Amino acid sequence: MTAGYQIVVLGSVVPDPLQTLEPVATPQGPALKNEAMLPAVLDPWAAHALFEAANLAAKVPGSKVTLVSLGPKAKLQQVMMAVAQKVPLELVALDGPAGGFTDAHEVAVRLAAAVKALPGLDRGRLLLFGGWESASRGAGVTLQLVGERLEIHDQFQGVDQIAVQAGGALEILERVEGGKHQVSVVAGPPAVLGWATGSLPEPKNNPQIGMANMRQVMPALQRAPAAPVGTAGVEFLSVAVPKAQRETRIVKDASPDEIARELVEWISQD
Amino acid sequence: MEPQVSPEAPQRQTMAVDVACVGFGPAAAGFLTTLARRLAATDLPALESAATPGAPLQVVCYERADDLGFGVSGVVTRGRGLRAAFPGLDPAQIPMAAPVREEKVLYLLDPVGASRRSATLRAADAALRALRAVLPVEAHALELPWTPAFLHKRDGFVFSMGQLMQWMGAQVMSTGAVQIWPGTPVAEALFEGSGVAGVRLLDQGVDRRGRPEGAYLPGLDVRAALTVVADGPVGAIGRQLDEVLGMPAGHARRDWAVGMKLVVDLPEDTPLRPGTVLHTFGFPEPEIFGFLYVHPDRVASVGIFVPSWFESPARTTYRYLQHYVQHPYLWRWLEGARLRSWGAKSILESGRRAEPLLAGDGFARIGEGSGSTNVLTSSGVDEAFTSGVLLGEAVIALAEGRRPFTRENLLASYAARRRASWIEAEGRVAERARDGFQRGVVSGLVGMALAGLTRGKLALGEEPPHPAEKLGSLEAFYEGKIPAEEIERIRRACAAQGVPLHDALMDRAGWPPIALDGKLLVTHQDALLVGGKVQAPPGYADHVTFARPELCRACRARACVEICSAEALRPGEDGVPTFDREKCVHCGACCWSCSQRLDGTDRVNLQLRAGTGGLHSAEN
Amino acid sequence: MEDVLLLAPVELDGALPKGALEALSAARVLAAGGPVQVALLGASVGPAVQALAGLGVAKVLVAEDPALADGRYASDAAAATALAKASGAAVVVAPASSRTSRVAAGVAERIGGRIDTHVAQVSADGGAAVARWYYKQRIEAKLRRKERPWVLLVDPGVAPAARAEGGAAPPVERVAVSIPPPRTEVTGLRAPASGEQTIRPEARLLFVAGAGWTKKQADGKPHPERAEGLIRGFLRASGASLGSSKSLVDQAGEGQKVFAFMSHLNQVGQTGATPRHPKGLATCCHGEEPHVVGWRFIRERRAVNLDPACGWARGKADVLYVADAFAVMERMNALLEAKKGG
Repeated sequence: MTAGYQIVVLGSVVPDPLQTLEPVATPQGPALKNEAMLPAVLDPWAAHALFEAANLAAKVPGSKVTLVSLGPKAKLQQVMMAVAQKVPLELVALDGPAGGFTDAHEVAVRLAAAVKALPGLDRGRLLLFGGWESASRGAGVTLQLVGERLEIHDQFQGVDQIAVQAGGALEILERVEGGKHQVSVVAGPPAVLGWATGSLPEPKNNPQIGMANMRQVMPALQRAPAAPVGTAGVEFLSVAVPKAQRETRIVKDASPDEIARELVEWISQD
Repeated sequence: MEPQVSPEAPQRQTMAVDVACVGFGPAAAGFLTTLARRLAATDLPALESAATPGAPLQVVCYERADDLGFGVSGVVTRGRGLRAAFPGLDPAQIPMAAPVREEKVLYLLDPVGASRRSATLRAADAALRALRAVLPVEAHALELPWTPAFLHKRDGFVFSMGQLMQWMGAQVMSTGAVQIWPGTPVAEALFEGSGVAGVRLLDQGVDRRGRPEGAYLPGLDVRAALTVVADGPVGAIGRQLDEVLGMPAGHARRDWAVGMKLVVDLPEDTPLRPGTVLHTFGFPEPEIFGFLYVHPDRVASVGIFVPSWFESPARTTYRYLQHYVQHPYLWRWLEGARLRSWGAKSILESGRRAEPLLAGDGFARIGEGSGSTNVLTSSGVDEAFTSGVLLGEAVIALAEGRRPFTRENLLASYAARRRASWIEAEGRVAERARDGFQRGVVSGLVGMALAGLTRGKLALGEEPPHPAEKLGSLEAFYEGKIPAEEIERIRRACAAQGVPLHDALMDRAGWPPIALDGKLLVTHQDALLVGGKVQAPPGYADHVTFARPELCRACRARACVEICSAEALRPGEDGVPTFDREKCVHCGACCWSCSQRLDGTDRVNLQLRAGTGGLHSAEN
Repeated sequence: MEDVLLLAPVELDGALPKGALEALSAARVLAAGGPVQVALLGASVGPAVQALAGLGVAKVLVAEDPALADGRYASDAAAATALAKASGAAVVVAPASSRTSRVAAGVAERIGGRIDTHVAQVSADGGAAVARWYYKQRIEAKLRRKERPWVLLVDPGVAPAARAEGGAAPPVERVAVSIPPPRTEVTGLRAPASGEQTIRPEARLLFVAGAGWTKKQADGKPHPERAEGLIRGFLRASGASLGSSKSLVDQAGEGQKVFAFMSHLNQVGQTGATPRHPKGLATCCHGEEPHVVGWRFIRERRAVNLDPACGWARGKADVLYVADAFAVMERMNALLEAKKGG
């Protein structure tokens, strides 16, 4: 590998995890109450994908990481202020809704077109990264759909590890049932990798990286083309927060012995 | 303290910019808005960078909180500076903003009978109750028939500061001319001689005590020709400058208040209209002020201020806030409301008397930490924003004239603009307005009226002492309500349980238990999690520590634990409070409340530094 | 009435996969009286075909090829596409698994259809409709789609498993599949390096350890070794599956002492797994919302925590024991060992 990888990461913004989510009906379909006001973060799985991409790019000289993101421009700008300090990247922004209720197929059409339009795109070097799911739609399908549209037929989901082998083949670990990984070796790019959590810690904020990234990120945001996506042929019959409130019995003054007995009895019941 | 690192550990890096701004609040927003517009102007000659020759002026702003607009609070403001900077400002463009429609000032009687009221107040209360047929007394509240003009916010706005800051941040960043980085606390200013040469960012990848761990990344040194200190009332850099450089003669940071608020969804049938503004005093304690602002879409901000002249060491803002919202005058609108957001912050209430050195070689101060807040009109945001605009204009003038950011040049450009501004003129009127509160609530209110009506010529009372000296004793505060020996028993019982005193004391003083409804009346921890969404990223040191543990052990008041807005400080087993970084909302109340002064200086034993995390709500 | 296809890759031994019979029931609901075909793919599908006897299946379509032994996108997508096309079905239902999840969206794209995943409920009132989760199990929506074909990945528990009611084995039709030359080779399965298998999907109990296990204890010191001993002892004695809060597994990345047998695979919650077990016991974990969303499919929930105001107390658990988990676990382990011994 002399020229390095072109790693394209697909990922958008989701509400910051502790926010209270409540659905509301809008003329455009279901949405979140106060969606514009909810603090946002880069989708956690996409973030793992981005950090893995940066890690891989740092190991393979000549590699480049491009983040392709479809979301409301203002939210993307806000989230980039946190993300762009973490890893070196180029941003391609598409200005459209990032809510979970938009249809994955419509989003995939936009994203695939944006990837195809990347200057100097070379399939022989392309690794398409993203989260295996998202914290918004949570369907785990957009990345595959984009991969199909780009005719990439080596796809992996629930990836926790990638390793470059001698000769350029890539060993990939995917999560499968029972807490195990399926190990595959793909001859090389192009490939689609939907990341689970991987094992890298979140990179520290590095203002130098931020300074360098922002010279490209701000113009990219300003250039972001409108990418309206909706709910196409989906008819939502109902959208609701499941009732999850339980009547909690709080046991305060029992001894460890008493508690242990009660718990063991509970565990043993069928 | 330089951490011990192994030879292969990453070295501290350095970066050079032209202007480094510390904190993104209203002041920085005013500064960056002004500067960014000039930098982005295509019809004017470019302002050239000295740090990166050939490039335009390099301007960065570092914000401690995890995002812009986290951790600031809702306001009603006349918005004079905002209107000037954004002519044609349309509140509909900013979520939660509304023009002020109706203002009332209310004196709240105590329907519970548990507050500590002076004989004067008790007599006044009795008279009000007796005359309620002829006075505008309703639901245990007297609506003041007349309020002085200086208190009015007519033609102003009700804002969520979080949303306003996000809006302004987006405006500034979209110019592409400046960078604002949230989640990036500044650890210290880099001094060179008596001037400032930039800032050092916080170390990352360290344990609670600041010792490097696996992913250690020493904080970057950001060299800057100009460091703009805009880090608010308890900002680490502002306080560091005050310590190193001293305050101007006669100036000191003395008065403060901690404000805590709830943002609520009002019931669907609420009669309250957007733009309604209520100011209250008299309940839950006479010293505690309160407010209710109504935003569009049935949303309201409701909260209280616990001021420095409230002498009780068991000054719990949260418990008092729970009683406040249940006052009959408010509860008729708030019953059935649901908590959306919660937050707390402290306010530097010394106004112009706390004005530090506004500028020196390589630095300038703006905003609340620069003494801009007007304590007579209870206005701070507009003043802070305007102080930033003034510095922005000054910096542009200096950069255009290719003059360096020396003390002399900054005084001639920025400080001179400030002296000539309405902030200064009005700040002087307000300077002594609150001194009366040192004697009591009634003389405080009379003093404010005097100062306001005589344009500052007359005032009551005297300059407040250091906050540590103002703190009373529990025995004195509860005299006549709880015998001293019982206070001692409560003290021992709470120590054994490892809990603060305030709940036990307030229960004993007659405050009814809070009937938690899971909607608006929730536990303090729920307010943090469900309301404030408080969190903190791992890998940073504790930002609250104690310089000399023995002083904590000897301290009887431990007001830091009592007032902690987030239960982050708790009684520690060895007498030194424990600190839970993941709960802290960085309000600074602990720092103001520490009663252990170090060696007779203005410094206190509780050390508050810049830290990450805190509130994750942008609605406050 | 819809033409519905149940699509299922078989197990390595050729058996019907877990969840296939539940998915078949779901397919029947959606068919609303229409025909249900089944498509099987694998290296050898004989046992699965036999298992379908008496289940009222209209036809079984089969794609058999050694290249289909392991789940691999290129070969699975080619086979599943050929099967779906051959069936002509309007709705394609598959039981959710790592293998079907890898490939289902690609198949939907290839057959010009649409896809929904994490389907928790199906119905046919007024046309085929499904309920699925959004925002990581925090919002549930019921929806219909105009477009066909419609591919659905159904979660476990979507419907009771179909039961054989007698009748002839369904007719079997082999579908020719052109599998592209592989660029990917599946080399096998790998268990986490820790050696001990702590994730047990079949377990009756989920045991969640939170970051409190590594924090300072009453004596002012952390006791990670003791904590590790207690947790491992409990897992051995109870057969529980091990879950973790994010903050505990994150400590590994922060260079702190962390349990060797735990990895991000154990993480439950917003950015982790959403396991299914009848019971769950949380220890030294605050029970904050982002974690508890991962408990959506844990029916009975109990927690042990020193903080009576922790999240579990606020309607997230059935029982909260305010106690020191070290002490409780020590006694629980002793009781469980005694039970085993007796």
